[in-house]
Amino acid sequence: MSDTKFRVRKVAVLGARVMGAQIAAHLVNARVPTILFDLPAKEGDRSGIARKGIEGLKKLTPSPLASRETAGFIQAANYEEHLGLLAECDLVIEAIAERLDWKMELYRKVAPHLSARAIFATNTSGLSIAALAEACPKELRSRFCGVHFFNPPRYMHLAEIIPCEAVSPAVLDDLERFLVTTLGKGVIRAKDTPNFVANRIGVFSMLATIANAEKYGIRFDVVDELTGPRLGRAKSATFRTADVVGLDTFAHVVKTMRDGLAHDPWHALFQSPPWLAKLIEAGALGAKTRSGIYLKKGRDLQVLDPASGGYVAAGAKADEGVSEILALKDPAQKLRRLRESDHAQAQFLWACFRDTFHYIAYHLKDIAHSARDVDLAMRWGFGWKQGPFELWQAAGWAQVAGWIEEDIGAGRALAQVPLPAWAREPARTGVHFPQGSYDAAGETLVSRSTLDVYRRQVWPASLIGEGRAQLGETVYENPGVRAFTTGDEVLVVSFKTKAHSISPEVLEGLNHAIGLAEERFRALVIWQSEAPFSVGANLESLRPALATGDWKTIDGVIALFQSTSQRLRYSEIPTVAATEGYVFGGGCEFAMHCDRVVAALESYVGLVEAGVGLLPAGGGCKEFALRAALESKGDLFASLKDYYMMIATARVAGSGLEARELGFLRASDVVAFNAYELLYLARQQALALAESGYRPPLPGRRIPVAGRTGAASIKGQLVNMLEGHFISEYDFEIGARIAEVVTGGDVEAGTEVDEQWLLELERRHFLALLKNAKTQERIAHTLATGKPLRN
Amino acid sequence: MTQQIQDAYIVAATRTPVGKAPRGMLRQVRPDDMLVHVLKSALAQVPSLEPKSIEDVVVGCAFPEAEQGLNMARIGALLAGLPDTVPGVTINRYCSSGLNAVQIAADRIRLGEADVVIAGGAESMSMVPMMGNKVALNPEIFAKDENFAIAYGMGITAEKVARQWKVSREDQDAFSLESHRRAVAATASGAFRAEISPLEVTTRTPDLTTHEVRVSTKTVLDDEGPRADTSLEALTKLKTAFDAKGSVTAGNSSQTSDGAAAVVLVSEAALKRYNLTPLARYVTFAVKGVPPAVMGIGPKVAVPAALERAGIGLGAIKWIELNEAFAAQALAVIRDLDLDPQLVNPHGGAIALGHPLGATGAIRTATLVHGMRGRGEKGYGIVTMCIGTGMGAAGVFEVL
Repeated sequence: MSDTKFRVRKVAVLGARVMGAQIAAHLVNARVPTILFDLPAKEGDRSGIARKGIEGLKKLTPSPLASRETAGFIQAANYEEHLGLLAECDLVIEAIAERLDWKMELYRKVAPHLSARAIFATNTSGLSIAALAEACPKELRSRFCGVHFFNPPRYMHLAEIIPCEAVSPAVLDDLERFLVTTLGKGVIRAKDTPNFVANRIGVFSMLATIANAEKYGIRFDVVDELTGPRLGRAKSATFRTADVVGLDTFAHVVKTMRDGLAHDPWHALFQSPPWLAKLIEAGALGAKTRSGIYLKKGRDLQVLDPASGGYVAAGAKADEGVSEILALKDPAQKLRRLRESDHAQAQFLWACFRDTFHYIAYHLKDIAHSARDVDLAMRWGFGWKQGPFELWQAAGWAQVAGWIEEDIGAGRALAQVPLPAWAREPARTGVHFPQGSYDAAGETLVSRSTLDVYRRQVWPASLIGEGRAQLGETVYENPGVRAFTTGDEVLVVSFKTKAHSISPEVLEGLNHAIGLAEERFRALVIWQSEAPFSVGANLESLRPALATGDWKTIDGVIALFQSTSQRLRYSEIPTVAATEGYVFGGGCEFAMHCDRVVAALESYVGLVEAGVGLLPAGGGCKEFALRAALESKGDLFASLKDYYMMIATARVAGSGLEARELGFLRASDVVAFNAYELLYLARQQALALAESGYRPPLPGRRIPVAGRTGAASIKGQLVNMLEGHFISEYDFEIGARIAEVVTGGDVEAGTEVDEQWLLELERRHFLALLKNAKTQERIAHTLATGKPLRN
Repeated sequence: MTQQIQDAYIVAATRTPVGKAPRGMLRQVRPDDMLVHVLKSALAQVPSLEPKSIEDVVVGCAFPEAEQGLNMARIGALLAGLPDTVPGVTINRYCSSGLNAVQIAADRIRLGEADVVIAGGAESMSMVPMMGNKVALNPEIFAKDENFAIAYGMGITAEKVARQWKVSREDQDAFSLESHRRAVAATASGAFRAEISPLEVTTRTPDLTTHEVRVSTKTVLDDEGPRADTSLEALTKLKTAFDAKGSVTAGNSSQTSDGAAAVVLVSEAALKRYNLTPLARYVTFAVKGVPPAVMGIGPKVAVPAALERAGIGLGAIKWIELNEAFAAQALAVIRDLDLDPQLVNPHGGAIALGHPLGATGAIRTATLVHGMRGRGEKGYGIVTMCIGTGMGAAGVFEVL
């Protein structure tokens, strides 16, 4: 750790436009007091502009706010009345419009008010940090740098730090620590070149895609079909992304590249195609104006035909043969087949890959400290599942390099410059190795950052070629789970199933692991090496029994589910769940039964069984009834009804913080901003519990329930929803059964029952629902389509 | 057959302006404080009346709990400074509570067991929501299908009336627009001045910097509900509120509201003793049950029953205060009873003016009395409303 601890007590964000306001939102998500500045309003509330920015946060989707109350903690301010408040801020992030002159004027205005220790960072996406540093007073430059968040900043993992020449290395380290642990970002240190790393390559990739689409005559909707999830990229693919970003913004970024990269061999590419200029001129700027490259007409989606300038019906499909190639698992085969195919779509895709590979190899030396930074930047900033260097390496470096060379020679590539010599070395197998990733400027391999904050990342994002082994030493393994330890007396269990669904093998494995942990370890942690935590029970595995009406088997699985939850609750050792992504159904029930949950901010938690016509029967209903009883201050029903509604409506909390607000998590549960720190935090929590003289709760707790009257009051609401055609007759039945379970069955209000009583009710009503043909229809429909059925 | 030995006369009738709930101008005014205000204001209108002569204070309230709980009538009487010899009783029949309070007060006098009784109603829907703070239904409701309707929300019953009586969405919206138009016109013309006792609202705001409580007061004069800016277009655009496939919206339903009213009733002997001018004579009252699922149709049976008791025909009625719980039920009643739309709610109804449940009966009694007198009308008028779980009530008055 550093000698003098850098504490970010308060942050100021300058500029309350969409980006500034969202950065402020993420800061308060992370419980960092934040002041949001903007220009003074000409009339009325002087901080009205900043306040409007804060209000606007509530309307954005996906929500920049991780919980309902958060926006209220952002303090609105203006440059006229409140500059004095800057003195309290340890970090000031400037996020105003991308105009050098405006930024310079603002720096002059705020500089005298900054605290002597404050870090001053600019969230520019393209302007030169050196030029901006010039605008800062000399004494400020050692604390000045660029910090480039990606939109939307809560969800995009990447933050680029761009140093200026005079900045102190300690300042960069302090900022990186804060970004990584407090805000949960993935930090890349970028060089001060136009558009830095991710945007430089990302925007190039889009321009290359556009150019190649034109060359091979591929319709825009087909381009999106081909360049989205099939390539491991965002659903919005190429053109829909441009619409979402805003065509004017996109054109602006292109212009930045044209102005700032005069010597880039691909410079000819850096201009807006004529159809784009026409759209912008016509005011069709994309999603924000409801028309752009795509146009929604009623229920029909239309797409621009660049040749005619008009719109045509969208929805053209990719060629089946090309789709088959894209589905190939082996990247070497995939690239070879694309390149060899005569089909225009395949040619187009190969050209896109080739030009991007060509570009990153050529520029690696100038824009990034290593190939790792390039790949992580594209994964974290653009949502690519795999970085471009990774794909190249996986497909066989030398082979692909040869193809690129051949294409350059034949004049097929977008620029005719040769690949750099390092990329053409015959013995080269890639850029990522166990010893490090290639740095083209230093012509060496560089290892990962040794900054202390990364010690918290026991299982950081890895790259192809690094040859990372499994974590820890396996203690036990079955087809459902792997249990391992890293030598700290904590047993970690990970599920091996798809989406970490809970199959009978997972149940058996988890039970066995709990037994082992009780015998030989001090604590147990459930952690998955990648999201999601768990999508819940594996319904597919119940299908054979369901088909033959083998209720005895199904009953046995439910019983095992419940006893597993109860073991997590009552085992002799502390149990901790480390969650990220979906924490659904049985996964949620397991987490609720652990002594502690360490939830990544992006944990989406819910008891979603009602969606398939079931109810939580792994202790979820029981747990909510118990929590309502514990929280009730005289009015049990009042505490219960919100919990009931969450089960009945299959409500999903949109963040770890919201999960805590709604009651899926408890006040003692921990929300982690950086998911790569989950395992570290979970083990710390587990060991702290163990160290604190852990004992499980005393068994045999008596639980007062809301009883018949409570169930009747819930049914009163359901009747009105039914009569009002908001729910179906069968929804009513499911809702009524959930009510019967959480209110403790046919007993008087206030009657005390025990956990087993409630679990028994869960089991009975779950089975009754499962036996109903309508629930079976719902399950079949969801398994087939992934969507719920209302019958 | 009426067995009364003497008549009961209204000598004072007043009300608060009605505020919107739960976010309106009276949201922080306690219902018992509103009651105190109207009791004092009503008595101020009959200064010669000796307070100790008040035999009882009868106050209607639909959800008598929390801020309007305990026995609000007795507490209100004491806080209003009435002698502690004056008792008080809080009564509940949901939306007719205020009218029932008038009926109970009048009947004590008509029976000869009292000479002076105050009736009234008070309700803060901002503080105590519809159905009260704690719903605890009887499980037996769900044991038989025919009892389910006990659990129906009022909106669902309105939908059922709209379907059964074929009241279209268009007609409901047009009726609602007219309610607002009349209420806006009546307010602008000062027609409500005689019945409203302006209320001083105190707001206490903590100043978090000085750690002092900032107290500010504002006098509210007019009802908050009527909207001059509404239009058929705006009403037509609203989504249905209770039934995805229905026709009842927030715009063609009564508003949730806060408000209170008090009515002073006396015998002929008291008129003379205290030298009071009677504003109206209480004639009679009827309450009837209907199926809970179509509770809104209640006035259809209550009105004829009350008229029969009064021994008069519909033709004798010059003013009808028909509580607009929903446009759907108001229109169904108007059509089935063949009421003259011009005589129904000449100053607008609950869709525009608001409906503070248990206070409404007393509030609209004040509107009837002062409305007719304001237009120089004499003769019979009627106050009627539908009531949750399927009832209708109607009170007949003769304005003097």
